Amino acid sequence: MVKTSCGMCYGTCTVDVRVEDGIVVGIEGDPDSPQGYGNICAKGLSAPMMLYDPNRLNYPIVRTNPVKGIGVDPGWKRVSWDEAMNILTTKLRECRQRDPRGLYMVGSPTFPAERAFNILSFRKAFGTPNYYTGGGGLHCGNGAHMIGGIYHASWSVIPDFKYCNLAIYWGCSKGHGAGHAANVAAKQAADAKARGMRLIVFDPFLSTQASTAEEWVPIKAGTDAAAALSMANLLVNEYGTYDREYLKWKTNGPYLVGPDGLYHRDTKTGLPLVWNPLEKKAETFTSKSVKDCALEGEFNVDGVKCSPSFQLLKNHLKKYTPEHASEICGVSANTLRRIAKEFGEEAKIGSTISIDGKTMPYRPVASIYFRGSQGHYNQAWDCMSLVLLNHFVGAADVPGGALAFGPPVHMGYPGTGKLKYSVEPDKDGLLVAKNWPYAHLPYPPLEPKDPPERLDLQDLFYIPTYTTIMAWENNEELWKKFKIPYRPDVMISFATNQIMSVGNPKTLLENFLKKFGFIASFNIYSTEFEEAAADLVLPDASFLERYSSATTFPTVGVSCHATGLGEWIWAIRQPIIKPMYERRPMIDVILELSERLGLREKYLEAAREWVNRAYGGDLDLRKYFGPNDKLNFETILDAIMKDRFGPDKGLDYFKEHGYLKWDKRVEEVYWRAFNDVRIPVYLEWIIRAGKKSKAVAEKYGVPDLVDWSAHNALPDWRPCPTHTEKNPDYDLEAFYWRSALHTYSMTMQNPWLNEVSQNDPYTYTIQLNTETAAKKGVKEGDMVWLENSKGSKTKGRLHVTDGIRPDHVAIAANAGHWSKGLPIAKSKGVFFNELIEIDKEHTCPVSLGQDICVKVKLYKDGGARSG
Amino acid sequence: MVIDLKRCTGCHSCTVACKAEHHTPPGVFWAKVVRVESGKYPTVIRQAVPLLCMHCREPECGMVGPTGAMKKSASGIVTVDSKECVGCRYCAVACPYGARCFAPEWKDYFTGEKKPSSPFAEYSKKKWAEESDKGVVSKCNFCEERVEQGKKPACVNACPCEARTFGDLDDSESEVSQLIKKRRGMQLHPEYGTDACVYYLPAR
Repeated sequence: MVKTSCGMCYGTCTVDVRVEDGIVVGIEGDPDSPQGYGNICAKGLSAPMMLYDPNRLNYPIVRTNPVKGIGVDPGWKRVSWDEAMNILTTKLRECRQRDPRGLYMVGSPTFPAERAFNILSFRKAFGTPNYYTGGGGLHCGNGAHMIGGIYHASWSVIPDFKYCNLAIYWGCSKGHGAGHAANVAAKQAADAKARGMRLIVFDPFLSTQASTAEEWVPIKAGTDAAAALSMANLLVNEYGTYDREYLKWKTNGPYLVGPDGLYHRDTKTGLPLVWNPLEKKAETFTSKSVKDCALEGEFNVDGVKCSPSFQLLKNHLKKYTPEHASEICGVSANTLRRIAKEFGEEAKIGSTISIDGKTMPYRPVASIYFRGSQGHYNQAWDCMSLVLLNHFVGAADVPGGALAFGPPVHMGYPGTGKLKYSVEPDKDGLLVAKNWPYAHLPYPPLEPKDPPERLDLQDLFYIPTYTTIMAWENNEELWKKFKIPYRPDVMISFATNQIMSVGNPKTLLENFLKKFGFIASFNIYSTEFEEAAADLVLPDASFLERYSSATTFPTVGVSCHATGLGEWIWAIRQPIIKPMYERRPMIDVILELSERLGLREKYLEAAREWVNRAYGGDLDLRKYFGPNDKLNFETILDAIMKDRFGPDKGLDYFKEHGYLKWDKRVEEVYWRAFNDVRIPVYLEWIIRAGKKSKAVAEKYGVPDLVDWSAHNALPDWRPCPTHTEKNPDYDLEAFYWRSALHTYSMTMQNPWLNEVSQNDPYTYTIQLNTETAAKKGVKEGDMVWLENSKGSKTKGRLHVTDGIRPDHVAIAANAGHWSKGLPIAKSKGVFFNELIEIDKEHTCPVSLGQDICVKVKLYKDGGARSG
Repeated sequence: MVIDLKRCTGCHSCTVACKAEHHTPPGVFWAKVVRVESGKYPTVIRQAVPLLCMHCREPECGMVGPTGAMKKSASGIVTVDSKECVGCRYCAVACPYGARCFAPEWKDYFTGEKKPSSPFAEYSKKKWAEESDKGVVSKCNFCEERVEQGKKPACVNACPCEARTFGDLDDSESEVSQLIKKRRGMQLHPEYGTDACVYYLPAR
């Protein structure tokens, strides 16, 4: 029995792996572990089939066919590792001589810690700012994580399953088998439902969570913000149900705003002002004499007309009447009224609860968003509108409410006191997430780079993630205008299938990937990406064949700890068997490359920076390697563990025990009750930051890079191109959803998961409403095409059901493979991303994330009905 | 066994846990999950229902098999003696729950061939031969071997929602008996008189 962390998704459940005669024969959960509770899902159970898949990459291979393209045979030729390393070293050295920024690094979000060492640290050492996350990140990340970071110092939010009484889900599935903390949340959600927690799910189709919920509210995809803003309007303007104390002391609601839309600041200190109603004057928000502050009204401050920002929000929300919202989102005004009222009442504003001797606000409601609600043009404001509902009633990071995933506060490992995470206010009093896994925090905004240096122009904006701009059709023109002096040169990818996971494959290939002179990919299969675009492919070790420093930390970036009180856990990943054939963990290659390229010191420095930011503390990795010692990952791991947990808890301890666990504290889980930080109900700083970014764009002759009018302080719903499609032929809104059986595009190759998917009516089909099917003259099992207005199209088999809005079609996962290297996955399921356009029109103007809903027309495939 | 439909999300962990435990070949699923849907948009009910052998107290399968391969242990577990079974599949027709499986022969999951494609496939083939054989009927055996070692059946052990409970139905104080009483557990198809040993707790 060897203990490790599963890597079939990013839930990272700790598992016991059974080995007999050197063969991995089974995987089970560990009942003592808070990371799984001894349970294990279909994906984890199927891991041996991935480990022993005869289609796995076992040797380095090079492309002999110089032609790159979708469906083109690369002409793989096996080479030795010696040759592979020589090629890689030479290409990187030449790239560095030309301009190190020509290196683009790409990593999978499934393995954050591996990615940090393989990709993030190496790119820093090499000297390139260019990086993105293949697919998963762009689809689920930009809006959601930016907002999670600003409002909760976290990647995302999840209900406090132990105490929540009413949870509203907007396009998310927490606790139903997929996504963050899939397995642990499944038990927690089941316990919550058994206890009586009510679940209301807004979803265009009858997802798993909708089918088990108390109420399924069929909403049009991408319109959630309109519904939520109408509920907010009802709460503050009609029902008068909002947590005044929370808004006064935990938000910038009382901050006085002048006619220019910015804070009216104290002239002496520059601090925002609030109106002290007892003394009838404006004072800084930090002033000790402020015992109360106004949330509403209009005041004259030194001749300037000011209002608390909450008043401005109240006024702004008035236009989101339930009737207006209903027109947009397809949910009846009565339903919106009813749910808003229940949410407000169930929040029990003003009540408290005592846990572990600490008395805290008790707000047993939660409004939870994630990938479905964020995959749209307006994703930053969409997510903001949805999360804001929690903040109106004070249900944020207190018992019963919406909790930060993570959570973002950790008081230190008992004994060593290391691994501290905290939140703090900036000078304006707003929440700063100190332990964000990336250097670029969601708040406060960085100054835009003038000119930007990154090929995706991310450093022109203040968003903490990446953009799709490097793949836009006019990218060359933009690079020229912004005076970027280098071009795509070399790409290194870790475990990504960018061709399938970003958007339309041809667009990504022609606009972006083909510009690279050399692409090296570390993967465990030859996927569509390798076959279409890679020059050199290295056989990576799977999660069962390699180490990882920590799978459950850093908490914020990994988002897999069970929510609420319980136990923290630091778990590692370790090789159960030695890598088979000539597979080699990518980290070993990266360390060797660092030596070969003379980047050894720089690599250790970059890794040190990441380790200390992610794991708290100040560990100097250079101390562990003498001048003649080869860099070695096990040494690095041992150093990290001993430094954090004590001299007796190094790598050997973790190899034996698999993990370390310790109790969470109330001050960590419900941190908002113990920290004097505020969140912005009025995003004043976006006005200023947006203006700065706009100024840079204008300076370089690209004034309309994005719609700058969206960079303002108040939430609005904005339509996707889907919602404004004028051609009536395109009458169905198409979207994709995450199945519990799959992780991105990887798992259809697993024959057990594939077989179950084939027997399941939803995983490999296009779901269409029964009545709509009748109207269109199509039926169950028919092969049909979905085509968007640009002519991109995809084919699939129909499943006809009443569990979907008549005006929508739903497709599961990232299926529909065509590569030769994935014969089990080949032709199974539907390839949705063919329909996703990668352009300005389908990019959020604020968070630069992708809009992934699309209007399509549906027609039968010209052949006979598929058997 | 008791399966709580209020907790189940139809994630198929049980489907695969069983396959991983017993190394069932392609096409053979001793455990599976179906979804039952009814209603017209937007008032639709969709319920995941995990299925397995019901280990009936009055098994239909036992009444039709010509060789007497169906055995019922003292504890109530219904098993197929693969040495006696000739693969006529009368039992599969008779079973109202679709619990009987038949595989003409072992096939590799990747190649579809008789030759195992990896050391794990070789191990799998060997394990399957211990459980059953080619050309005979097989089905869920309530993980008899695991239960003898004091462990829970694989599906119960795996379920992330902890929706499944295993125990002694003849003991009125056991967890399974208490759940059935308190939550009004029901058998599937009681009208066939099979008196199944698997009970389902209502979803609401």
